[in-house]
Formats: sequence, C-alpha cells, structure tokens
Amino acid sequence: MKAFYLSLILTCSVFASESIIAAKVDGSLKGITPSSKMWDRAIFDYQTLYPQTTIGFNDINAKEKNSNNGAKKVVVGALYNDKELAIKIRWFDATKDTQNREDTDGYADGFALQFAKDFSNAKGLPYIGMGDKNRKVIVHLTKSTEGIDAPNANGDVEVQQLPSNMNLYGEDLEKFTSKKASARVDYSKSFIAQGFRTTTMIDDVKFSSVMEYNKEEQSWSATISRSLKDSYLDLSSGAIPIAFAIWDGSRDNRDGLKHISGWIPLKKVSKTDKKNLAEMLSKEVSGDIENGKKVALDNCSLCHNYGDVNNAPEFMAPNLSNIGGYSTADYLAESILKPDAVIVPGYNRNAHKNFSWYNIDEGGNRISTMPSYDWLDEKSRDDLIAFLQTLKNQ
Amino acid sequence: MSKRQLAMVMDLNKCIGCQTCTVACKTQWTNRNGRDYMYWNNVETFPGTGYPRNWQNLGGGFDPSGDLKKGVVPNLERDYGIPWEYNYSELEKGKQFRPHVDPRWGPNWDEDEGAGTFPYDNYFFYIPRICNHCDNPACLASCPRDAIFKRDSDGVVLIDQERCQGYRYCVAGCPYKKIYFNPKTGKSEKCIMCFPRVEKGLPSACSQQCVGRIRFMGFLDDKEGQVHKLVNEYKVALPLRADYGTTPNVFYVPPVDSPPKYDANGKPIPGSDRIPVEELERLFGPEVKRVIKTIKDEKEKKKNGKESQLLDILIAFKHSDMFRMDHGYYSKNSASMGTKKLAPIDERYVRGKETKVFTNFLERGQH
Repeated sequence: MKAFYLSLILTCSVFASESIIAAKVDGSLKGITPSSKMWDRAIFDYQTLYPQTTIGFNDINAKEKNSNNGAKKVVVGALYNDKELAIKIRWFDATKDTQNREDTDGYADGFALQFAKDFSNAKGLPYIGMGDKNRKVIVHLTKSTEGIDAPNANGDVEVQQLPSNMNLYGEDLEKFTSKKASARVDYSKSFIAQGFRTTTMIDDVKFSSVMEYNKEEQSWSATISRSLKDSYLDLSSGAIPIAFAIWDGSRDNRDGLKHISGWIPLKKVSKTDKKNLAEMLSKEVSGDIENGKKVALDNCSLCHNYGDVNNAPEFMAPNLSNIGGYSTADYLAESILKPDAVIVPGYNRNAHKNFSWYNIDEGGNRISTMPSYDWLDEKSRDDLIAFLQTLKNQ
Repeated sequence: MSKRQLAMVMDLNKCIGCQTCTVACKTQWTNRNGRDYMYWNNVETFPGTGYPRNWQNLGGGFDPSGDLKKGVVPNLERDYGIPWEYNYSELEKGKQFRPHVDPRWGPNWDEDEGAGTFPYDNYFFYIPRICNHCDNPACLASCPRDAIFKRDSDGVVLIDQERCQGYRYCVAGCPYKKIYFNPKTGKSEKCIMCFPRVEKGLPSACSQQCVGRIRFMGFLDDKEGQVHKLVNEYKVALPLRADYGTTPNVFYVPPVDSPPKYDANGKPIPGSDRIPVEELERLFGPEVKRVIKTIKDEKEKKKNGKESQLLDILIAFKHSDMFRMDHGYYSKNSASMGTKKLAPIDERYVRGKETKVFTNFLERGQH
C-alpha cells in the first residue's frame, strides 16, 4: 500500500496508460540523476512487473522467500532529446539491500532495462526473458553493491595479488592500497543476450545509471541514460519497446529470480508511432476465457504448470503462471503455432536431463520439444490466448 | 564428460590431520582478496560437522532420476566462520591480545571431538576434502549462465570468471559445498586442481606437500598410473557420498584398521571395531566391506613375506610413482591448450576463451 501512496505523492501527473510517454527536452541528459530538476517535465505512469516464474531455481531459501510474490507496481517516466534517452523508475522496497563485501549469502537490490536489438517487426519481438537466437536483446543492469574489488588496482579482478608479495614498501605500499580502494567499481554492466544462459557482458556500450534509496519513503529511485544510437541499438524511431526488471535483495533475488515487465511501448512526444507499436504490444485478445481454460487443461497442462494447475512434472516445461503478465498476445500466438520460432532454453542441459526443452538437430538448430498447435481452430486458439493473458499474479 | 580425467586418491589410513595440505593450498591460492575464508582444501574430523558446518545436510546434487536437487547457500558467520585476525600492532601500546571479531565458529571448530565415550568406544578419523571435479558436476548444472565448464583435456572443472556474475546457484547445487562465493569480487571460485602446476607436470600443491604421502594423482585411463590401479584394478579407492549422483573423481581408501572397543573394565573387546562400518558405508557406499577385506588380505600376504603390489602402492615409496602426470601429456599438448610459460597468473579463464565462444553465440556442446 505504501508504494501506492508514495507514487501518488511523488508524481503529480500519473496517467493510466499502457505506454510510457517520453517528453522531449533540449538540454543534455548526460549524468542525469533521480533528483535532477529535468524530471519535472516528465510524465510519470504506472507499470506492472510480475514475478518471473517461467523457470525456478535450486536455492531452497530463495524459493521459500519468493513463494508468495505478487505483482509489483513501479512508476516510470522518460525524457529524450535528439541524441539521448533517459528513464526514471521508482519502486517500493522496504529495505535497502546492498551486496556488501563480507557476506556469502547477501544479495543486492537492483534494476535492469532491456531493449530489443531489432524491433522492426512488432509481432516478432525477442522473447522477454533474454531474447532468442535470432532476436537479440541488450540489457543494462545496475546493482546496489559496496564496490567490487580490482585487486591489482588496475581493474583486473583476476589478479589476486597480496600487497605483501609485491615488493612495495612505505609510500609505494600506501599508494597501492589507496589506489586499490579507489579502484572499486559499482556493478553497472551491459549485456547482450540471445536466450536465457547466453547473456554476455559487453563493455563498448556507454550508459550511466544512478540508484538512490529513500529511507523515509522506503523506495528506490533509479535513472538510466544512454545515447539513442550506438553500434548495438538504434532507438531513434518514434516508439520503441522496452522492458524492466527489478531485484529485491532481501528476498535473495538475483539472476532470474526477479520481477519483470512485458515489452512496454515507449512513445516519444511529437514523434509518430509509425508501426503502431503501442497498440500491438498492449493488444488483448477477446475470447471465451472459460473455454480457453478448458483448452489449456486439455492441451497444455500435461507439460505446463500454471496457477493452481500443477499436473505436470516440475521441470517438464516453462511454468506459465505469469505468462499473461509478461508476454504479448502475438508472442503467445506465435508460441502456440510455431514453438520453434522462439525457444526458451530453460535449465542448464545437465540439470534435468529427462526434461529437455529443446533438441538439437543435425544442423545445430534448436528444435522445441513442444509440438505445434496449429491444428486448433481459430476460436479455440483465441480463447486459449485470452485465458493465457489472464495468467498473472495480483 | 571430458575426454580424459585427472583424478586423486587419498588414503585415509595415513592421514594424520596435520593440515599441511590446507596450508599449502591456502598460501598458494586463498590467503587474499576475499578468498580468505575459503578452504579449497580442508581436512575435517569425522564424525563431525565438517566445513562448511553440516555440509552433508545442505542439499544439492542429483536425485536418483537425475534431477538437480535444491540446496542452501551457506552463511559466512554461521557456516564457514569469519577468518579472524589479531591486533598485533596494538600490543606495543599495551592493548590486550584479542581477535578482531568474537569468534563463534570456524573450520575445525570441532576438530578431534569425534563420537563415542572415552575410553570405551570413542573414535574419529580425518577426511581431507577438495573439489571432486565430478563427471557430472552439480555446480555446472546449476549455473544459469553456463559459466562453469569441464575441460576436455583433463576434466578439471573451472569457473569462467568473466561469465560468472556471482549468483551462487552453484554453491547451492554442489552437494560437497566446494564452491565459494568471493564477496570482494562478486564472483564464485573453487579448487582449480592446481591446473597451472599440473600443466607443468607437477602435482597439486596439496598432494606435493602432504607429509603423510596419502595423495596420489594421475589420469584415470593411464594404466601405468597408481591412481588407475587403486581405483580401477584393485578397486580399493571409493568416491565420497556417491549417492549425490555427481560421480566424483577424488577417491578415498577408507580406514581399514579400527582399534577394538573397551569393555567396562577397560579391556579390549576382541573382534570389535571402533569405527562403525555403517558410518563408512554411508560415506563411501556399499563397497566398503569388500575394500577392507581386500586390504586386510593383502596386509596378511605382506606379513607372511609375500609380494603385494597393492600394499607397495599404498606405502607410497616414490613421489614420481604417486604423481604420474602422464609423462609429458601436458607439455606435448601445451600449444593447443594455450598453456603459458611460467606465468604466475593464468588469465585464460578470466579474459577467457570460453567467453569468446559465447560472444559469437555458438552452441557449446550439449550443455
């Protein structure tokens, strides 16, 4: 509840819209922070993030702490100019959790922004969880940490040297020690991914991000700014799809243990959404939900678990409990008709050998273990999609 | 599975719990920069809590159907113990000598306690533990980033420090709790089987320094090697907790001779064993009784003046026989493995070749 009031107080102009409206500014967005005056010009809006439940994790304590996760409301605003884009996100979090330099089982609060590398086809956006083989995503991830060591004071984490083994004495030793302390880096990284497990760090993308915790309001405010164009992304069009993730350290959140949004259209004020992205992404299929429920029970529940339906073995297939929260209608349709179009790689191939989510053919391509349901008549399919869209935690 | 497998045999009959291996490992690898609390090699007393505390009850490994089991990420203070330091520099100012934290737990906190009642049936023995470099590593299977890999050349299991983002599912997944999270670098680390030494034809530091000469090192498929003989020919070396389903590659010769228990009058009870064989079976599986019999029979042979190759191997006469790093296997193949000459720091898996594979997004094997 607190988060709800908080966002009302903080944002005088809250719209109930499914898009994020980016306001245009003239000044530079470089180095923008959550408290920058420029945010007065932004239009803030609620977005909903859902617990990632497609795949589970093997940490007993974390599983317990996240068993009752509901949806999370966040407040998002955006600014842009000719060259840059900045996004601000605020969310409720009762505790500030920073990954400190002593704990072995402490985790950090954090947030991430995901962009589709290619969004020219709004019907075929990358899979929301880290993209897919042919549909890459770029992720900017920031965590609240006490700073990560670079032991040789030069940014090389691997160089685990003891100062006492380095022939350094007196002033030189002091210099090294202070350099080492100042060489600590915050966790703010960019990744490219084409499917769960492939996430690979890239260091040639520049972005800046700031996380600020407000103790009184028990909330994080975070900003992120980046250029509209670089070698990986071109965000200059009138509307772009973006997705958010937030992590709560007190619930042992890390990696896939997080809340995520679906693809949200970000529309730039005074620019046109030529491809109707906003409409495509927030499309809701109308259908007979009760019939869809039956279709799901008959066709999906042997492999997929969702909500209260847990007939399938735990590791058999993606869990669909929040699929309606973070998937678009087009993605659901595509997955039903062409399961090979986007493969959710799932668990490490050695973790659950009896339940492979895909096989590899002779050409090295991943083939989904799910058969196509293109034989479903149109009504049943729409009913099913309408039902799947209701699958999300409250 | 890798093409070849480097393995280790530890003869528990000769381990005196001196911790020289622990020190060898610590000074070589873990005395700095967030590794301070880690013991890639530790020697624990059995029965006891072990390190980290009660590791055998912290989950991980595989269930009989081959599914990864859930586990726990141990806590530094409660399970590992905070490595404390003393206020040496303050002593000259007249301060009292004391540790920088109030120590409540640490490795070997329960050293030599064992079980039973002195002098009647008390017992304990030592188990040195390193990463088992398993055929089916649960750490590797738990990693959601495919950051852990098993080298084809020798089956050593390593963590690519570039790919690792410190999520610690591997820590929960390893049933031996031999992966450690480094809170200073935010990445997980583990025993590397001293691969930079091994590639030079040297055994691991823990093996080399062992004063009891309990450790043998070599390739499982090297028929001339003592490791092969102990594991595959005489079958007297058994994996620890094979029921976890990871197929470990560190093998143990279980304690064979156990002194008799004493009766109420302090007299030995003939035919009794202080170390319950059920306990040994819990650790090393159902083969324990057979192993004990084999070694006892061979001992008897030797006692009667006959030859026993098995006992000669276990006596461990020569380091050169105990550590058979397969006569130039590494030096012949060093170019393809990317081994560096006398590099004090091996950076291969930090700026790693594994990462490059992923940058191009090639499907890596069947992982």
